[in-house]
Amino acid sequence: MSQSLLSIEDLHVSFSTRRGMVEAVRGVTLAVEAGEMLGLVGESGSGKSVTGFATTRLLDTAGRVTAGKILFRGQDVTKLRGDDLRQLQGAAMSMIFQNPRAALNPIRAIGLQIADAILTHKRISKDAARAEALDLLRAVQIRDPEQRMNAYPHELSGGMCQRVMIAIAISCNPALLIADEPTTGLDVTTQKVVMDLLADIAAARGMATILITHDLGLAARYCRRIAVMEHGRIVEEASPKTLFGAPRHAYTKRLVAASPTATSRIEDLVTAEEWERHAAVVSNARPPAAHGTPPLLEVRKLAKRFDQGSAAVADFSMTMAGGESVGLVGESGSGKSTTSRMICRLIDPSEGDIVFEGQSIGHVASRDFHRSRFRKDIQMVFQDPNESLNPRFTAFDCIAHPLMRLAGLRAGKELWQRVEECAERVGLPLDLLPRFPHQLSGGQKARVGIARAIACRPRLLVLDEPTAALDVSVQAVVLQLLDRLRRENDIALLFVSHDLNVVRMLCDRTIVLRNGGIVEQGESRALFDNPKTDYTRKLVEAIPHFESGPAMATAL
Amino acid sequence: MLSYILRRIVATLPVMAIVALFVFSLLYIAPGDPAVVIAGDQASPEDVERIRQGLGLDRPFLIQFGSWVWRILHGDLGTSIFTNLPVSTMIGQRLGPTLSLMIITLLLTIVIAVPLGVVAAWKAGSLIDRAIMGFAVFGFSLPVFVVGYVLAYVFALELEWLPVQGYTPLTEGLWPWLQNLILPSIALGCVYIALIARITRATMLEVLQQDYIRTARAKGLGQGGILFIHALKNAAVPIVTVIGIGIALLIGGAVVTESVFAIPGLGRLTIDAILRRDYPVIQGIVLLFSFVYVLVNLMIDVIYTLVDPRIRY
Repeated sequence: MSQSLLSIEDLHVSFSTRRGMVEAVRGVTLAVEAGEMLGLVGESGSGKSVTGFATTRLLDTAGRVTAGKILFRGQDVTKLRGDDLRQLQGAAMSMIFQNPRAALNPIRAIGLQIADAILTHKRISKDAARAEALDLLRAVQIRDPEQRMNAYPHELSGGMCQRVMIAIAISCNPALLIADEPTTGLDVTTQKVVMDLLADIAAARGMATILITHDLGLAARYCRRIAVMEHGRIVEEASPKTLFGAPRHAYTKRLVAASPTATSRIEDLVTAEEWERHAAVVSNARPPAAHGTPPLLEVRKLAKRFDQGSAAVADFSMTMAGGESVGLVGESGSGKSTTSRMICRLIDPSEGDIVFEGQSIGHVASRDFHRSRFRKDIQMVFQDPNESLNPRFTAFDCIAHPLMRLAGLRAGKELWQRVEECAERVGLPLDLLPRFPHQLSGGQKARVGIARAIACRPRLLVLDEPTAALDVSVQAVVLQLLDRLRRENDIALLFVSHDLNVVRMLCDRTIVLRNGGIVEQGESRALFDNPKTDYTRKLVEAIPHFESGPAMATAL
Repeated sequence: MLSYILRRIVATLPVMAIVALFVFSLLYIAPGDPAVVIAGDQASPEDVERIRQGLGLDRPFLIQFGSWVWRILHGDLGTSIFTNLPVSTMIGQRLGPTLSLMIITLLLTIVIAVPLGVVAAWKAGSLIDRAIMGFAVFGFSLPVFVVGYVLAYVFALELEWLPVQGYTPLTEGLWPWLQNLILPSIALGCVYIALIARITRATMLEVLQQDYIRTARAKGLGQGGILFIHALKNAAVPIVTVIGIGIALLIGGAVVTESVFAIPGLGRLTIDAILRRDYPVIQGIVLLFSFVYVLVNLMIDVIYTLVDPRIRY
C-alpha cells in the first residue's frame, strides 16, 4: 500500500473546560492523498475544525491530543516540537480560516503579512520576499497588486482578504492546505470566485486540500470525496454522488434533507412527524384580503445617503400585504440591511416615505419611534442570536422586556403567562426561561430572539439573515417555525438573506437588490427559475448545488 | 495630519480657558477675604490693605480675571508675594529637576513594565505570571514615600551606592545627574510600573486570542515575532492611553517624591507656595501642569494614528 500524504489514525482530542475534560474528537481515522481535495463536513461541535487544528498543531492551549497519530509524510505531527514544528507550519502544511478579515493583522500592511510567511521559511532578502509577495498577489488575482501591497485589511473586502489569506497559505508551496470554512460569511458570488480560485491553485500546484465546511452543497461541488462528521466521529465517507443519492447513516440523511436545494420545500427540511403538526394549521389558510383594503406596508421611493459618498439605497419602493412573505436578496453592500433597518425605523431614511396601515411613519425620527403606537407592530429579528441578546438578561427578561415597555404589562402573573405563551409558540422549553444566553444553544438563542420579536404580536416581522449563524438542521427548524408563525398569526415577513435557496422556499415574492437599487422582483420561484437580469442569474448560478455534476467536473 | 494637529490645538483653547478661569478662581473659592488669606494670621490691617491694593483685589472679579489673562498671554505669570520674584522665573528655575525626574521615570516605567506585561500575558497562569502580578499588587499598595525612604535607607545609607538626596543638573555630567535620579524614579515609578504592567498583560491577553495571532502561528512565525511584531503593536492603543493618563499620576507623585529626596523641583515649589499661600505661584504651577496635560493628550492622539492605520481624523 502506498503511503498517503496525510493519514490520521484514531485521533482523540480533548479540551479541558470548567466542567472537566470534554472530548471533541473521538477516534477519527482519515487519509488524504497528494493533490486531492477532501471535504470534511459537519455541523458546529462535530469536531471537524478541531481535527483540522490538531493537524496543523494550532489547537488552543486548552486542547490536547489524547490518543492517536497524525502522520504527515510518515512523520507523526503530534510529536513534533520547536523548530521541527515551525518548519512544518506554513511551509509544508498551511491553513486558511473562517472570517478572513479577523484572520489578518489589522495594523500591518498585507504585503508585509505575506512577506512574513516567506521570510520565516526562506533565507532571502526582504526585497526578494517583497517581490515574491507581489507575485503571490497576482496569483490570487488581486487587481492593482502594487498598490494593494501597502493596503490594510480594513481597506479590502472580505473576498479580497480571503485571497490574501490564500496568498499567505500558498507562499511556501505547501503539500497540504487545510481550509476551515473559507467562504462562510462571504456572498455567494464571492464564495464561488474564491472557491474556484482555490481549486485552480490547488490543481495547478498539486496541493492536497482539506475543505472543512458545514455546507454540503459546497463540498459536493469541489470535492471528489466527502467525510461527514458528527459528535467527533466520521460517520460516513463517500463520493458526493453516493452521499446525496444514497446516504447510509441516519445523520447524513438528516443533514442532506435539511440542506435547502433549488427544489426543496419547507416541509422537506424536517421529518414527517414534525410536519404533521405544521400541516394541521396550513389547512385553515387565511382568506384573500378584501379588495380595496390598503396594503400593510407601502414603501415609496425610499433613499438613504450616509454622510459622504453615494446613496446606500436609492428609489426603493415596495408594498406588502398582511401575512405575506417577501425576500430581500443581494450581495453585501447592496443595501438590503439598510433598507430593512429603515423599514424597521431603526435608522432614518434620507428621502421617501414608509406607510404602515395607511399611516405615514417614515417621518417619525427613529429615536422617537419607540413611542409610536406602531413600534409593537413592526419588530425585528437580528442576524446573530449570540450578539443580539443581552448577556445579562435571562431568556425570560429578553421576552418580557418588550411586553413591559410596549404592551404596558407589569411584572406579575399576566406577564408570566404572556412570556410562557411566546416561548411555547416558538417551541422554547419553559424550563430554559431562567437561563442566560451563554447557557443556551444557537438554535435556542434564535428562538429567544424570535419569541422576543413576536411577544407584542407584531403585524410585520423584519428578519435580517436570521439563520446565517445557525447549522442547517437548526436552520430547517427555525424556517419551519417562521413559516408556521406567518400562517397562524398572519404576520408578514420581510426576509433579508443572501441564501437564495432559503428565500425561494420561504418567500412568496423576492426583490433583488444591487448597489442600493432594485434589479428585479417577482414571484420567488419564477424569478429564480427564469431570472431576467444577468445579475440575478449570476446570483442563482453561484449557489452550490448537489446536482451540479458539470460544475464539479470543471472545478477539478 | 498637520491640519488635524492644528485643529486639535485650536480645540484646546476653550479647555485652557476653563482651566484658567478655575485656577484664577482658586483664590476666591477659598473662604474669607482673599487679601486677608494672603496676608496671613499676623498681618496688620495696613498690610492687608496694601496687599489688596497691590494685587488689585479691590477691582471687580471679571476685570481682574481679564487683566490676569492678558498678562499671561504676554508671558507674565505675576510676581510671587513671598519672594517678589517673577513667577515665570521661579518656575523656570525648578522646571529642570522635575522634568528630569518625570522623563527618567517614564522611560524606566516603559522599559520595565511593558516587557513584564508581555511576559506575564505570554506565560499566563504560570508561576512567572503570578510572580509578576503579585509584584504589581505590591507596587500598587505601597505609598511613594514608603518606597522612597526604604530605597534611600538600603541603597544610599547602608550600601552607599547612590547619594541619599539632592539634585545635580545635567550640565554637570550625565552620571552625576542620573545618580541622583535613580532612586526617586524607582520610588515614583512603582505604582506606575504596576499599573502599566497590568494593562499590558490584560490587553496582550486579549490580542493573543485574536484570529490573526492564530494566522501568525499558522505561518510558522516564532514566539518573539508573534509577541512583538503582531501582538504588542495591536495592544499599543490602550497601553499608550494609560501611559498618558499616568502622567497626571506622575505629577502628583512628583510632589511627594521631591520632598522625600530633597529635589529642588516644581513639587517642592508647589508645597512651599501652598504653605506660604503664595497664590500667584500656585496659579502659575497649576496652569503649567494643566497645559502639559493637555499637550500630552494631544501627543497620545497623534501616537494613535501612527500605531493604528484604522484611526483617521
